[in-house]
Amino acid sequence: MHKSIYVSIILVAVSLGLMMAFQYRTSSSVEQGVPYGREQELTVEKLQLEKDLAHLREESSDLSAKLEEVGKGHSAAVDAFESELSKIKHYAGLVPVVGPGVEVILENLPDEKQDSYPERNSIKDDDLLRVINELRGAGAEAMAINNQRILATSEIRLAGKHIVVNMVNISAPYQIIAIGNATTLKSSLEIKGGLAEYLNDRGIVINVNIKEEILVPAYTGGLRFDYATTT
Amino acid sequence: MNLKSAHLMLLMVGLILGILLAFQFRFTREIQHTESVQRVTELSEQVNQMKEDRKSLQAEIDTLRNNLDRAASVPLTDELKEELAKAKVLAGVSELTGPGVEVTLNDSTITIRPGENPNLYVLHDEDLLRVLNEIKAAGAEAISINGQRLLATTEVRCTGPTIVLNKNYRLAPPYVISAIGNPDTLEKSLKMKGGVAETLQFWGIQVSVKKLNQVKIPAYSPGIKYEYSLVAG
Repeated sequence: MHKSIYVSIILVAVSLGLMMAFQYRTSSSVEQGVPYGREQELTVEKLQLEKDLAHLREESSDLSAKLEEVGKGHSAAVDAFESELSKIKHYAGLVPVVGPGVEVILENLPDEKQDSYPERNSIKDDDLLRVINELRGAGAEAMAINNQRILATSEIRLAGKHIVVNMVNISAPYQIIAIGNATTLKSSLEIKGGLAEYLNDRGIVINVNIKEEILVPAYTGGLRFDYATTT
Repeated sequence: MNLKSAHLMLLMVGLILGILLAFQFRFTREIQHTESVQRVTELSEQVNQMKEDRKSLQAEIDTLRNNLDRAASVPLTDELKEELAKAKVLAGVSELTGPGVEVTLNDSTITIRPGENPNLYVLHDEDLLRVLNEIKAAGAEAISINGQRLLATTEVRCTGPTIVLNKNYRLAPPYVISAIGNPDTLEKSLKMKGGVAETLQFWGIQVSVKKLNQVKIPAYSPGIKYEYSLVAG
């Protein structure tokens, strides 16, 4: 009888001691938690840097090879130049490109289904900007809205009833196409608490379809640079 | 022996044992912890080294590209040269100068009253997106934020108090947006009544627009590599 009391007292006391020490430990480990986050951040940064370096090395060897070609004579020089031109145009968005990706369709609800705030429900330039930004973040390589290629200088801006992209009026439904890793692109929008959910809550119909092959058209408008000069 | 004091003794012994056990566990964990600190130092050294490497590779590529331009410029028609020059401006592979504006954005200076949402008074990625969009609509030809060139694929993402651009460039406020274009049009587009600057200023976010005769926009620095898209036709 006595023995069992001792045992239980010891057990209670040990667990009490453990709890006290753990309490101390958790309160003091709050400040120590930072390095773990840092480590993860640095690891991610390192991985990205590895990719950057690989790309840069590739670019550098490509350019060296072209320089060598140029030295070999007239026709070789023209070839080297043309291949460089086509690469730069690819970067700039001046050629049509194909690849796997997604098609995002954004639509306003039909009038009769909208509640009393059509203003709140209609798709705004901000919404399209955010979809594009989300897709960029997920690694989209080329994008277009209603066949307007998105360039470094493309605006997406509400003007009256239309949205203007590359100084061309477009209107709903909006079709955004993007080339990249299709699943990454899709999930970047459909992630829980993400943009698709937010737009749905606002009464905007958004559909993301994975496409095995999609064609993103080239920018066809005029190009004028009146202010920028190469240094 | 008194039964009560024996109980007390046991209680004390048990307590001390428990604390000792927990501390023992804590110490072994701490040893792992210092290892992780070492790993972090090592990692950050590697990252810095790689950043240096990247810088030198970028410089190398710039020289190569210039050499190629010069070498190839002899047998070409003006039309082709013009085409390449324009494509290069859009592609972001060369450094540019020209007249334009410098827009500085910084978090709010308003002291937040208790109960107010502090999130409303800091800069968000959307604010930057909106400013950039406005600048683009006003005909900006080239844009950079804190020295990072903006491309067609450049995202602007909020991560805590910082913003990430071009996948792994982390920028901290103040954000300085440089843009080449017509300085007057650019300034007006931001400062117009009911425009972006006014909206942001409502939240106390500091916006200043400076017209400049000479703005320098650096080339895009990380290597461009497309893994999914191929030139069609």
